[in-house]
Amino acid sequence: MMTAAAERDPFAGAAPWADRLLMKLRQRDDIDAEEEAALRSIIEPPQAYPARRVIIEEGEPLERSALLVEGLLARFKDMRDGQQQISELHVAGDFADLHSFTLKRLDHGILTLTPCRIGWVGHDALIAMFERFPHLGRLLWFSTNLDAAIHRAWTVSLGRRDAVARLAHLLCELQVRLEIVGLADPTGYPLALTQNDLANCLGLTSVHVNRVLRELRERELVTFRGGHVTIADRAGLCDLAEFSADYLFLEKRPR
Amino acid sequence: MPHFYFHVSNGTGETRDEEGVDLPDVAAAHAQALSGIRSILREELGRGVLDFGGMIRVTDPQGRLVLEVPFDSAVEVRHDDRRR
Repeated sequence: MMTAAAERDPFAGAAPWADRLLMKLRQRDDIDAEEEAALRSIIEPPQAYPARRVIIEEGEPLERSALLVEGLLARFKDMRDGQQQISELHVAGDFADLHSFTLKRLDHGILTLTPCRIGWVGHDALIAMFERFPHLGRLLWFSTNLDAAIHRAWTVSLGRRDAVARLAHLLCELQVRLEIVGLADPTGYPLALTQNDLANCLGLTSVHVNRVLRELRERELVTFRGGHVTIADRAGLCDLAEFSADYLFLEKRPR
Repeated sequence: MPHFYFHVSNGTGETRDEEGVDLPDVAAAHAQALSGIRSILREELGRGVLDFGGMIRVTDPQGRLVLEVPFDSAVEVRHDDRRR
């Protein structure tokens, strides 16, 4: 029985760096054992990167994509005057740049905000996997569509929410995304970001973010201290933010 | 690189900065304070309020006061009336 299983699935019991990717995808669709093995097999053993390291430069030619195994990554753009805008945060289980598969280079950089472990995935390995498992191709396509939905939600926040609602919305979003991969619960989550990182996500300054955090604390909605988000009143926080998780597409259905 | 803390006092009360920022020098800290004030004022303006009665106090890691930046120093207010 063991031998037969090993022959059929040589990657059974393979190292767990794909675990959170699988949790993320299985929230939205079923993945069978053969598909799981195929997905595990294309991810290279993770490499460690320190915090504040640009791991992908804007414009560099790309033949592989980065799976975030541990830590937090940002998609970012630096302005001439030194300001930075982060257009998306990535949590464990996310591909940071699956879109590089079709785009071949990126219109932004990717930066570690914390020490990270990254499992690289060659584009050639993706092509081979898609041919054998078109359903996995559609699921990874889904994940790039999900990134686009997150971008749209951030656009709405930047365009039309005030600073308090904007920060509240981000904290609600991260709670959902982290809970899916087992890194949060409804009472909160670790978040090893600085106020400056949050400011760069929200188009604010860190001084202003500190002011907004104080307001959220005084309204007894959420506290962010010592790298930990503690949610006191999740319903109140989501209501203030006009947050709905619909753009995170949490429902499970054949894709 | 020197580390600075930006404590804000304004109409909403006092907000202590427990995290701070690394910046090259005091001039950079001043610039950071100005951009912080403008960000806060921009926000309040959206709600129809313009409160210049605020202050940012910048301290070093030993808690010594390095700079005081009043809110009204961050904005030039013009009154020339061109409605003729």
